[in-house]
Amino acid sequence: MDELELLKKDWVNSDAKFEKKSASQIYPMLLKKSSSIVKTLFYISIAELVFWIVINALPFVMSDTYRAKHDEMYNSNWFIILSVLSYAIIILFVYLLYKSYKSISVTDSARRLMKNIIKTRKVIKYYVLYNLIMATVSMIFGFYYTSKHDPKLIEKIEHFNNTQFMVMVGVFALVTVIFVTIIWLFYKLIYGILLKRLNRNYNELKKIEV
Amino acid sequence: MSKPLEQNFVELLEQHQNIVHKVCRLYTNNYDAHNDLFQEITIQLWKAFPKFRGDSKFSTWMYRVGLNTAITLYRKSKRTINTQQFDTVQFKISAEEYDSTEEDQLKLLYNAVHQLNDIEKALVFLYLEDKNYKEISETMGITEVNARVKMNRVKTKLKTILNP
Repeated sequence: MDELELLKKDWVNSDAKFEKKSASQIYPMLLKKSSSIVKTLFYISIAELVFWIVINALPFVMSDTYRAKHDEMYNSNWFIILSVLSYAIIILFVYLLYKSYKSISVTDSARRLMKNIIKTRKVIKYYVLYNLIMATVSMIFGFYYTSKHDPKLIEKIEHFNNTQFMVMVGVFALVTVIFVTIIWLFYKLIYGILLKRLNRNYNELKKIEV
Repeated sequence: MSKPLEQNFVELLEQHQNIVHKVCRLYTNNYDAHNDLFQEITIQLWKAFPKFRGDSKFSTWMYRVGLNTAITLYRKSKRTINTQQFDTVQFKISAEEYDSTEEDQLKLLYNAVHQLNDIEKALVFLYLEDKNYKEISETMGITEVNARVKMNRVKTKLKTILNP
């Protein structure tokens, strides 16, 4: 006899062997919170949004000099354009996230469901990537701006020879790279753990279709 | 949610709960994990229920939600550290139906199925539930031909596990 046929015979007759849940046991289950990866992904994406908004707002709230400089910079048109653009990008990401969460349906086929979850994860990934790039650009721009406009720093680097100046730029670049890499690795680790099983199953389904 | 909807859902689930139990049986191997997955599938079914239009059978709809939860949405709970063997806990095997040879063989078979990966288990599940290849392909999101080819490979894999 085919192994699966023997299994099927037992499978069909196994109904009576399960511990049946009564209606009174099922009702409380409806009130419990889901612990699905979509829910976790949702919380992470909210945390990512808030985290980067706070990171960007923190210097403004914490430091009076920064605020003063910020107000001064607001006089420049292109700074206003940049700010509007960055808010527009955040709104765009929120919209994309909302749209991709809406597309996740547990009643879709397994492959489509996995694809939509991966798509949502990608939106969060691009958001983080965008912020990391912006952080790098801001740090470089900030460094350049300070080296040109901050009297204290100008005074210090005035006496630097070429090598000393290069070392300073090198150290600054290294700190920036380490900062960005740590955040990126942390991010990869979180999603790597969370979506390991999903990715494995999605690849398995893709393999079947090849 | 209105009361009749909730009542309607609970009645349907109570009636068809074996489908959920069977999904849990394939994807978990202890009592706590079984109940944990049962809970998660129930939540997913309940969340999706308002959109259930009744144009497909409730049971067919349950297969999809149950499998999707097991292979995609479910995160294994940390508290499922019970190491008791599944069959001794989850099943109430009565003395009169106990046939040691067949029971041993079935145990080996279930163990072999547990060694398959999530997707292979899903195919075996649908096969055991007597679903045709059209339904299998629609549930999994693969073509009918590929579902058939993969099913044959799974059968061969099971044979290899059983007779190494």
